[in-house]
Amino acid sequence: MATAPEKFILIKKGFWGMKASLVKTTFFDGLVLGYLLVVVLIAILHPSDEQMLELSKNTLIFLSCCLVGAGASFLLNFFKLKTLGELIFEDAEAKANLVSESWYKTVWAWELIVFLVTTLIVGVKITQFSVFELMDQQGFQGAIRLFQGLMSPNFDLLPRAVLNIIVTIFMAFMATALAIPIAFVLCFFCAKNIMKTPGAFVIYMGLRTLLNIMRSIEALIWAIIFSVWVGIGPFAGMMALMIHSIASLAKQYSEIVESVNEGPIEGIVSTGANKLQTIWFAIVPQVVLPFISFTVYRWDINIRMATIVGLVGGGGIGTLLIQFQGQAMWPEVGTIILVIAFVVWFMDTASAYLREALK
Amino acid sequence: MINRNPNSNETLLSIKDLVKTYPNGTQALKEVSFEVRRGEFLVVIGLSGSGKSTLLRCLNRLNDPTSGEITFNGKSTLDLKPAEVRNLRKKVAMIFQHFNLVPRHTVLSNVLMGRLGDTPSLKSLFGMFSAPDYQKAREYLNLVGIAEKEKMRADQLSGGQQQRVAIARALTQQPEILLADEPVASLDPATCHTVMDYLKKVNQELGITIICNLHFLSLVRQYATRVIALKAGEIVFEGSPTEITDDWFARIYGHGAREVHIN
Repeated sequence: MATAPEKFILIKKGFWGMKASLVKTTFFDGLVLGYLLVVVLIAILHPSDEQMLELSKNTLIFLSCCLVGAGASFLLNFFKLKTLGELIFEDAEAKANLVSESWYKTVWAWELIVFLVTTLIVGVKITQFSVFELMDQQGFQGAIRLFQGLMSPNFDLLPRAVLNIIVTIFMAFMATALAIPIAFVLCFFCAKNIMKTPGAFVIYMGLRTLLNIMRSIEALIWAIIFSVWVGIGPFAGMMALMIHSIASLAKQYSEIVESVNEGPIEGIVSTGANKLQTIWFAIVPQVVLPFISFTVYRWDINIRMATIVGLVGGGGIGTLLIQFQGQAMWPEVGTIILVIAFVVWFMDTASAYLREALK
Repeated sequence: MINRNPNSNETLLSIKDLVKTYPNGTQALKEVSFEVRRGEFLVVIGLSGSGKSTLLRCLNRLNDPTSGEITFNGKSTLDLKPAEVRNLRKKVAMIFQHFNLVPRHTVLSNVLMGRLGDTPSLKSLFGMFSAPDYQKAREYLNLVGIAEKEKMRADQLSGGQQQRVAIARALTQQPEILLADEPVASLDPATCHTVMDYLKKVNQELGITIICNLHFLSLVRQYATRVIALKAGEIVFEGSPTEITDDWFARIYGHGAREVHIN
């Protein structure tokens, strides 16, 4: 093919004319090696608590370490010693010409091993992992007392628990039901294969960013926000779940829309159909079953989340749970947990059967 | 209205210096020029990647040409507004290698979709097609011989049957030209002929001009009234199917290629 060399150059030219893969490789290795360097520095210098709190100074130290790491990565790859970053991000062309070498002779394998071992050690330190605490006699007795309470549930509370779980189920239902139409409309605006023109692409990017932000704020945080806004109760919890569901469903829906078969779309476009007709006749029939399946799953998730949301004032069974837990009334808590477990198990199974049948 | 005289010499479509360069730099078409007369059965041949599909897709603006001129019925088709492009597509119907029917819809519903261009958005969203639309859809289903399958789901049909439904959908648009992009490339040899026979019927009985991309020369000799051969985006042969000698065959498909017969 006469055009092949041109194409080749286009792909290889990345950032400021540099190879895109080189930028990614150096960035990745810079982070990994810089992090290792910081760990070594802390281990050697034992900084005091005050020193650890100096954020701007420490950021500077971390970034310089990353820079050193990036330099090291560049040099290593320059001398053909393949680093972990290079292994992951190298060109497709280089990946095709794989050189088989014993792993223990490569730089990348040792980089990976040192990274994992260091992270494990740091992790044990930071999470204060301690076998002694687990074995502590007094603490263990406390746990046993709690379990005994849970295991002898107080069924006097059952009617209230049942009424509250009904509230929770409806919170989840309303949140899902209200999220469906909004997510359905939004999903087409954040599907890449529909928003092709430059103007549409701006809307696509804006909407995607907004939804990502909405989604990265946990339902728990939304519940705290809404419990201040509309007051503690099921309405706050429902709103929190709805916001989260809109963001999640729109994302999942749009991914399904992006993966549809292009054939029917071309078929419908070539009849002279407009954009709306194309979406309705060529895309919707292809996505409707996966949409339903994801929606049922979202409802299932929402029922579990509705309980958690209740803990921070979202109403329903979660609020009941946190009341009795606060007073250490374990037999009552046991009843509530039993009711939650039953409903979650039932919804989980039902949704699994439903989704299986809809395939 | 449709001209039912296949022997007319009227130029329906004229393509001049058509160039299509894809964003990645591939030059699919390099200054292609030819004319299509009303009522022709024009076949475009050439290797995969020679630009056949791109050519067809430029004609109904599924692809936007880089430069050149296309005139359809004396009017340029390259400076149209979106609504006018949709009008063009109504008149220049297309069928595809992979049929491109809508799954989970019935055969009849798929054929009715050929009327979308003439149906207001709101009505079409509720599936409200007019009685004449239904009549046309059934008429063309009858023409391609699968009227009895109208209630079946389109994705349950065999490949050949799906292509016939696609032809019926295209005819329901009441087109003047039918573009066929490798219509038989994913069908078995026997079904191949059935589908090609229906295209011939459409051409001769309804007087619809056909531009068809094909791989097999034996089919070309049997069905084409005129042939264009593309090689690396350029026209290397134009003439009647009987003029394609072994020598021409080698030039079009490269030396060392062998003709495969499918009958």
